[in-house]
Amino acid sequence: MSLGFFVFAPGFWDNEAVHVALAVGTAVAIVAGVVGVFTVMRGQSFAGESLGDIGTTGGSAAALVGAGPLAGFVAVDVLAAAAMELVGVQRVRGRDLATGIVLGAAIGLAAFFLYLDSTQGSGNGSTVTILFGSIFAISSATIPAVVGLAALAVTMIVVLYRPLLLATVSPEMAAARGIPVRLVGALYLLALALATALAAITIGTILSTALLIGPAAAALRLTRRPLRAMLGATAIGIGAVWLGILLAYDSYHWPPHEHGWPVSFFVVALVFLGYLASGLVEWRRERGA
Amino acid sequence: MTNPRLGARRVLPVLCLAMLAALAVAGCGGSASGAADGKISAVGAENEYANVIEQIGGKYVDVSAVLSDPNTDPHSFEASVSVAQQVARADVVVQNGLGYDGWMEKIESASASDSRDVIDAQELLGLPDSTPNPHLWYKPATMPAVARQLAADFSELQPQHKAYFEANLAKFEASLRPWLNGLKEFSTKFPGAAVATTEPVADYLLEAAGIENLTPFTMQADVMNDADPAPQAVALQESFFTEGKADAFVYNQQVTDSITEKFLGAAAANGVPVVGVYETMPAGYTYQRWMEAELTALEEAVAHGKSTEAL
Repeated sequence: MSLGFFVFAPGFWDNEAVHVALAVGTAVAIVAGVVGVFTVMRGQSFAGESLGDIGTTGGSAAALVGAGPLAGFVAVDVLAAAAMELVGVQRVRGRDLATGIVLGAAIGLAAFFLYLDSTQGSGNGSTVTILFGSIFAISSATIPAVVGLAALAVTMIVVLYRPLLLATVSPEMAAARGIPVRLVGALYLLALALATALAAITIGTILSTALLIGPAAAALRLTRRPLRAMLGATAIGIGAVWLGILLAYDSYHWPPHEHGWPVSFFVVALVFLGYLASGLVEWRRERGA
Repeated sequence: MTNPRLGARRVLPVLCLAMLAALAVAGCGGSASGAADGKISAVGAENEYANVIEQIGGKYVDVSAVLSDPNTDPHSFEASVSVAQQVARADVVVQNGLGYDGWMEKIESASASDSRDVIDAQELLGLPDSTPNPHLWYKPATMPAVARQLAADFSELQPQHKAYFEANLAKFEASLRPWLNGLKEFSTKFPGAAVATTEPVADYLLEAAGIENLTPFTMQADVMNDADPAPQAVALQESFFTEGKADAFVYNQQVTDSITEKFLGAAAANGVPVVGVYETMPAGYTYQRWMEAELTALEEAVAHGKSTEAL
């Protein structure tokens, strides 16, 4: 009887749902780490949160027509990002207001779709699945789409890296060097929309921001260099998702017996712990310096 | 900053009037009771209960069902205004209880009436609130008890038609006999029959037919309550198919989701017949014919390996 038996509850390595969850979770953690660092640096956490929430509308509409939630998340998040770009540029002062009003309208629409899902459609459990995620219920057929979208978002950041970094740190200098700051920002928002949609399929629309900005914020406390922060955020994200999946699997044997706790709870709790720990490291380093 | 013409002195009286109007509207309504044509007005929370009301009440009762759309999941149903009006007017209401149709109780207390008879299947059977499986109409004892209570209530409301209601009750009880006998025969014909299930919808029927339900109730409850079953529970369920333990896979035909699809695929891959059971009565059936059809579908699966996806 080895230690592994206690850490990994029986059947962990043979379980198909676990395999799918690990594959999807890893891809999503990488995207969230890479995109999230820029989200934090650009101060766009509220935009990320709004995109996540608006994804609810897409997920509930997709459930209504019998499509998978991922397609709905991606479609609506990309549209919402485009709308935010249009609204945000015209009048900077009104941006929070406009985002808030659009967000309210979108969530209202989501409430309507979720009502139709439960009264008209034959879909089951869409509300909880969309809002809080259900990574163990993802079909293995979804993996190619998740990995493809993840690769697309990461590629966009890699290609945009230099101009995006300059536009983030100093928009004036970027503009002086002839970088199309607005276009770069719009493309970044598109990558953010993809990352948010992917995070939503893992831990739900409401919690998606936690995975997006939590690891990135923690990593940026440990290092000021963006590339290192991306690696750190990815590592923290992967750690939180893997450990979350393992704990959720093991929780089958915890009370209430034979139900299993939600993965989303563990992932978000671990991300939060990671953020606290990074604060501790930062504090000790500053005191030592 | 504010428009001087819209001062508080002008706006507040208007708001007060609006509030008074709202109170007045809330105070009226829902006072009428009984149908105008001398018929008893009755509501069945689910269409299987409405069907029994119809069979007992016959020509002297106007009956409507709140839930009859087979695509609706009753667990997540939200009542509308028209339902509230139906219930407010009804003389007799039949509901399942056990929280399955908790919205009925909310409507009833919202339009309280002393003259309304509420027949609650849970109460009638004396089941505690902690009873885990709410699908009582699959229990052989439920509908005979509901029918007897209906005949008694109708006879009290219209004593001049007492003989008519009692004759209908006798007819109903007689027509239930083929199903009740079929359940008894099933357990002697197929001892040791075992099935895997998604939700506990037909569990009482399985129990009455002596069929073992391999799926743990914890997982059935998760699927029913829209929670994701644990990966271990999913793997256990699939092992019933791959190891040949299940004679059939019984799933809720009305509420399908990705997890049901997954099990349907696993059952098909391992040659396990499937039986789609209904949560509300399908169109074109009476309660007794529906129950007989479900039992026949189970027998076809266990005896001949034949699937019945829809009735």
